[in-house]
Amino acid sequence: MDIYTKSDTVTLAHGAGGKQTSELIDRVFKKHFQNPLFTADDAAVIDMEKGRIAMSTDGFIVSPAFFPGGNIGKLSICGTVNDLACMGAVPRYLTCGFVIEEGFPMETLEQIADAMEKTANEAGVRIVAGDTKVAGKGQVDGVFINTTGVGIIPDGIRTSGELAKPGDAVIVTGDIGRHGCTILLERDDYGIEAEVTSDCAPLSGAVQAALRAVPDIHVIRDATRGGVGTVLYEIAGQSGVGVNLDAVSIPVDPAVRGVCGLLGLEPLYLACEGRLVMVCPAEKADLLLETLRGCKYTEGAAVIGKITDEMPGRVTMTTEIGARTLLAQPGNELLPRIC
Amino acid sequence: MSSTTDHNNGSSAKRSALEILKNYDGPAVRIMEVCGTHTHEIFRLGIRRILPPSIRLISGPGCPVCVTPVSFIDEALILAEEHGCTICTFGDLVRVPGTKSSLQKARGTGARVQVVYSPADAVDYAEAHHEEQVVFLSVGFETTTPSVCLAVKSAAERGLPNFSVLTANKTMPGAYEAMKDSTDLYLYPGHVHAIIGTSICEDLASRGVSGICAGFTASELVTALAVGVTRFEKGEPFFVNCYPRVVRPQGQPAAVRLVDAMMEPCDSEWRGIGEIPLSGMKLRDEYAAYDARVKFQLPKVEGRSNPACRCGEVLQGKCLPSDCPVFGKVCTPEHPVGACMVSGEGACSAFYLYGG
Amino acid sequence: MCVGLSARVVKINENGTALVDASGARRQVSAALLEELEPGDFVMVHAGAAIAKITNDDVSETEELLKEYL
Repeated sequence: MDIYTKSDTVTLAHGAGGKQTSELIDRVFKKHFQNPLFTADDAAVIDMEKGRIAMSTDGFIVSPAFFPGGNIGKLSICGTVNDLACMGAVPRYLTCGFVIEEGFPMETLEQIADAMEKTANEAGVRIVAGDTKVAGKGQVDGVFINTTGVGIIPDGIRTSGELAKPGDAVIVTGDIGRHGCTILLERDDYGIEAEVTSDCAPLSGAVQAALRAVPDIHVIRDATRGGVGTVLYEIAGQSGVGVNLDAVSIPVDPAVRGVCGLLGLEPLYLACEGRLVMVCPAEKADLLLETLRGCKYTEGAAVIGKITDEMPGRVTMTTEIGARTLLAQPGNELLPRIC
Repeated sequence: MSSTTDHNNGSSAKRSALEILKNYDGPAVRIMEVCGTHTHEIFRLGIRRILPPSIRLISGPGCPVCVTPVSFIDEALILAEEHGCTICTFGDLVRVPGTKSSLQKARGTGARVQVVYSPADAVDYAEAHHEEQVVFLSVGFETTTPSVCLAVKSAAERGLPNFSVLTANKTMPGAYEAMKDSTDLYLYPGHVHAIIGTSICEDLASRGVSGICAGFTASELVTALAVGVTRFEKGEPFFVNCYPRVVRPQGQPAAVRLVDAMMEPCDSEWRGIGEIPLSGMKLRDEYAAYDARVKFQLPKVEGRSNPACRCGEVLQGKCLPSDCPVFGKVCTPEHPVGACMVSGEGACSAFYLYGG
Repeated sequence: MCVGLSARVVKINENGTALVDASGARRQVSAALLEELEPGDFVMVHAGAAIAKITNDDVSETEELLKEYL
């Protein structure tokens, strides 16, 4: 027998810790994050195998919360899973904290939790603890989510932005800028319509396959806010090397290119949410590409350039006519609340 | 940024044009481009890096934001701050420094500044916000001026009392005359001539000033330059339209008629060059209700730019951005001293972002 | 400022605007400057207006130029 009253929207009472908080936990959390480790106590208790642990946290405030290709829930799982995967870790356990605006529709919250459940299952992670707070109307915009995750790094694996070496190949795991472009179009500030979907996806499976094939991948970085271009500049800085891109090799969806053309944007600086930059020894590039192209979400992997010892700290572009220029660093126009 | 989505696979054409340029051994030649988009694309593609030293590409006064005098920003700020107008503008103008402030800074203290993609968007905004006085900042050359005229026409047809434009539109022929001794060849702006046609280019050629009219893809630019230096080597003045798929000799007569019906030439100040007679365009008297200067009775404003800024000389091709003492130090895209560093089409900005 | 972009005309509206498509990105632009525009035509778009009817092919254009002048 259902002893809780049904509500259509989240109210301040849902955050107060009493009976209605229990309703919220039952309807949203228990229903969707079902697994034996999901704690009813103050903290989850887990038996972890020995080894190096990777741990990461991320906040999600994307506006709008629902967009072609996903929603804030899916994003909140992918973001943390991918961050862990970048360190070579197998993601294992996640927590999630919600801050919800009073009046937020319960059904929408359930859709978000449902997406989180599906994505977590796909990524093979368990959500073991959660928290909910409800803030007054206008004190938060819709719903904000934080996820924290841990994973185990297999022995012998080490990736870092400071390990790129001159001669290495630079690979991106698919066409770039789709998430940023999708959000931009959803906000409809520019009157442009295009069929672009976010590239939001959990990539730990592809990364595990890649590391099995090529254990000495030097760098794996998640290209999110700021896009691939920003990550490349970070790698160049961290490793003290130059990055030279080949303009014609960079994969960009034609519709994304069209939107960028209309607005004067550079696809390399549009956010992604399911694209990794990988740097590996040149002789392993073919094997890495083949492996990635055989995995879900990384079928479009391509070599886009190489690491050099010239112009350390800079990213250069070999243009369509074979000349080498600097990749312009992004201006102030990066979109807010993109993830 | 990629300027077009055309198929740029004319690789055989590109390669042989590239080879012609790389292997050029004719007399030294100066080629001046006078188009902001050409400035940007030439830097982005790195065209200068594949040219031999005998071919010198000069960036001229082609960036409409860059040649707009400082006083224009000051006027916009008067409208925003003293008259409470909502300023609708292309993005580039927001960070251009005026004498004391900028639109971006004014926005930070409460001024309403709205970035729009086209003048038509500003009219739509005015219609949707009838309680606000909306002013569109109208800068641009002949390619853009027809759009402003369409916007004013639309506002008049809709009977909008809250829309007007602050004009700083310019025309190229006066600039071509003013700069002709600084160059051996002009690289003419393809889209300006798509509107006004090519008779002025032919006329200049008959008076000894050669040129090629070029498009904007890598292939088109490289081919136009190759045609230019090859003909230059022959020694006779010439004009070749290297953008025939867009530029017709007669241009777009309907666009020209529209502009002529609504605007008339006026004297205009070009940053760095000074006043060029009859090189600007202003609304005709019958459209005074849509002319922000008339409507709000703006005083004459004397703008002052930072004395260290050498935008003026950069715009005439007299010095490189890197020759300016503040370039890259005090003056960067994040903290611009002059317009050339703000606009996506400014030589200083392109030089800084893509390398010289 | 506003780079020109080539786009295919999808639909002509009665109020002097047209829906154009630039490799999948669609926007309404003014078509008031051009006469006799039809769906399938290519135009050069600048600052929200179609300014010229064009052929979407820079390949044959540049090859012709090379043949004639070089």
